[in-house]
Amino acid sequence: MARRAEPPAGPALRSLSRAQRGLADRLGEPGLRALTWAASAAGMALIALLVYKVFDQAGESVSHFGLGFLTANVWDPVSRRFGAASFVYGTAVSSLLALVIAGPLSIAIALFLTELAPRRARRPVATLVELLAAIPSVVLGLWGIIVLAPFLVNTLEPALHSAFGWIPLFEGSTSPFGLLPAILILTIMVVPIIASVTREVFETVPGDLKESALALGATRWEMVRMVILPYAKSGIVGASILGLGRALGEAIAVTQVIGDATGVHASLFAPADTLASRVASTYQGATSTLEISSLAYLSAILLVLALIVNVIARLIVRRSTLRMRRAGPRPGLAVTTAEAEV
Amino acid sequence: MTKNRIAVAAGATALALGVAACGSSNSSPTGASGSADTLVGAGSTLVAPLVSQWQPEYDKKAEVAVTYGAIGSGGGIAQITARTVDFGASDAPLTEDQFKEAKGVVQIPWALAATDMAYHVEGVPSKLKLTGPLLAEIYEGKVTSWNAPQIASLNPGVTLPSTKITPIHRSDGSGDTFAFTNYLSHISPEWSSKYGHATEVNFPVGVGAKGNSGVGGAISSTNGAIGYIAIAYVLENEFDFALIKNAAGQYPEPGIPSISAAAKTLASVPANNEVSIVDPPASAPGAYPISTFTYALVPEESPKAKTLKPFLKWAITEGQTFGPKLDFAPLPAQVVKADEATIEKIKS
Repeated sequence: MARRAEPPAGPALRSLSRAQRGLADRLGEPGLRALTWAASAAGMALIALLVYKVFDQAGESVSHFGLGFLTANVWDPVSRRFGAASFVYGTAVSSLLALVIAGPLSIAIALFLTELAPRRARRPVATLVELLAAIPSVVLGLWGIIVLAPFLVNTLEPALHSAFGWIPLFEGSTSPFGLLPAILILTIMVVPIIASVTREVFETVPGDLKESALALGATRWEMVRMVILPYAKSGIVGASILGLGRALGEAIAVTQVIGDATGVHASLFAPADTLASRVASTYQGATSTLEISSLAYLSAILLVLALIVNVIARLIVRRSTLRMRRAGPRPGLAVTTAEAEV
Repeated sequence: MTKNRIAVAAGATALALGVAACGSSNSSPTGASGSADTLVGAGSTLVAPLVSQWQPEYDKKAEVAVTYGAIGSGGGIAQITARTVDFGASDAPLTEDQFKEAKGVVQIPWALAATDMAYHVEGVPSKLKLTGPLLAEIYEGKVTSWNAPQIASLNPGVTLPSTKITPIHRSDGSGDTFAFTNYLSHISPEWSSKYGHATEVNFPVGVGAKGNSGVGGAISSTNGAIGYIAIAYVLENEFDFALIKNAAGQYPEPGIPSISAAAKTLASVPANNEVSIVDPPASAPGAYPISTFTYALVPEESPKAKTLKPFLKWAITEGQTFGPKLDFAPLPAQVVKADEATIEKIKS
């Protein structure tokens, strides 16, 4: 538009810039292609090398202990017997329970932000919740030691114990370090992830569906239960599994509060350890090549777990996209599906 | 106490960050100053404060820049075995396997430190009296409350609460763990056969924490906790600490005089320089029972021999004068003599 306003100098300038552009095109096009190709190749090579190296390192331990490593509940550097059972247990319990607490909490936050919150409050609240994810995990762990641990041991754990002491989960004596603080720290880390993805999923629920539910006389709760939640179900599951992936791999903050102890205890108050936390706390001081190799074995287990979780999350997300596409030509839906795919 | 706890926790966090960074801790051998020569070492965190005292002093004296990476004893052993450093440092003497793998490395005890039993029990004063067998029972989970008769009978006149005992141990490999478990193995045959001694052992009960600061944090935030922790750390943070009964039946206060008294009981130094002075004999009434030597690991044939030998010689003699300030006791004369003989053998 501006070009049309410049009468005589226009064509010359344009041809010059075209020549320049030609040069840039000739060099830039293949250059860009090479650059992006190299970057992607480097990314893939890195993953392959990393996986190879972890499994290579684990080789000594794998040939020494075999698959029995997975079920052996021991970590004894003196007699050189190592096993992953208590760490697999600790990882599973801490991540899954964190998910159990974080899931409903995140759905509630997402519902509040998409349906209930006054429009002006939505952005600041959403930003604050997402900022939770920006807290470095060491800082969260530090908070766990200084603030959370004393609160747990003085208030929450005695209360849980006296109310639900008959459930094995809340048996035994209280401790500032153990599974419970680890679960709560992981919950805090996972909530912003699940909440923000779930919120985005809720926003794709077509307005006409919600409005027709309301028009049919549904209350807001019925509308949430019968329209929003079913529509967003697979999205919520995908979000939760993303959160699970985060919880599985967290090392530092967990190391700080979990009490780094071996053994499988039913009680949430007991000190425990996870795969990632054991690797983080022990690698530096590992005393034998077999121990280092066993730590690599733990890493390999973690890597496989993370890959499985990631693949499941992708499958679920893909299935839900397919389903939405199949849901076909209803005008409202078609628009949102297109949007979702962009 | 609260301030303490925050400081301790901050330390723990710094340490945790250290782990994250340690993957790339093969520090490059850059002599920052205009020093004529450089030496690169890595290993034990226990000896790190002493080495960092030595660095500027030795640079001033001999114009040699010493770079030291406190990556942990295990890392120190691995690095010297791979010969990526000029010297390694380990809090535990090398095992036979490690010697074999390292192919011609000698160990030189070059610092002497002690481990304290610190505790935090509300309503109980400092300097509670404890014994070795009792510590073994506590760490095995056999004695579980602070008012157990075994503790009460040692401490007449002290009102003990029924608080549960939470034994705290290091979750990372450490020289303090070696000193403590070496002591328990000496005192208790059961401990020796079941758990043994090393820089990292399989503690049957209790809470693990990373680094001295992690253990300190766990002690200060847990009512009823007891933990072993480097002596300097205990004094710095004003923790309550226990007096441990020695073979003479005395309860000496941990400190340079009582560590030195233990070191004096050392009869001879074996050919591989592995020395242990835990649970010293009854002939030394003032000897503190839980102290440990920490070692420099050096190849017998080193391309840096010309620089390395004078540094090691300086470290075990003049260098020792920087120890007491950091609660390292000076090396006893026999050890210095054995060290000098070993250093002489290093060739280029």
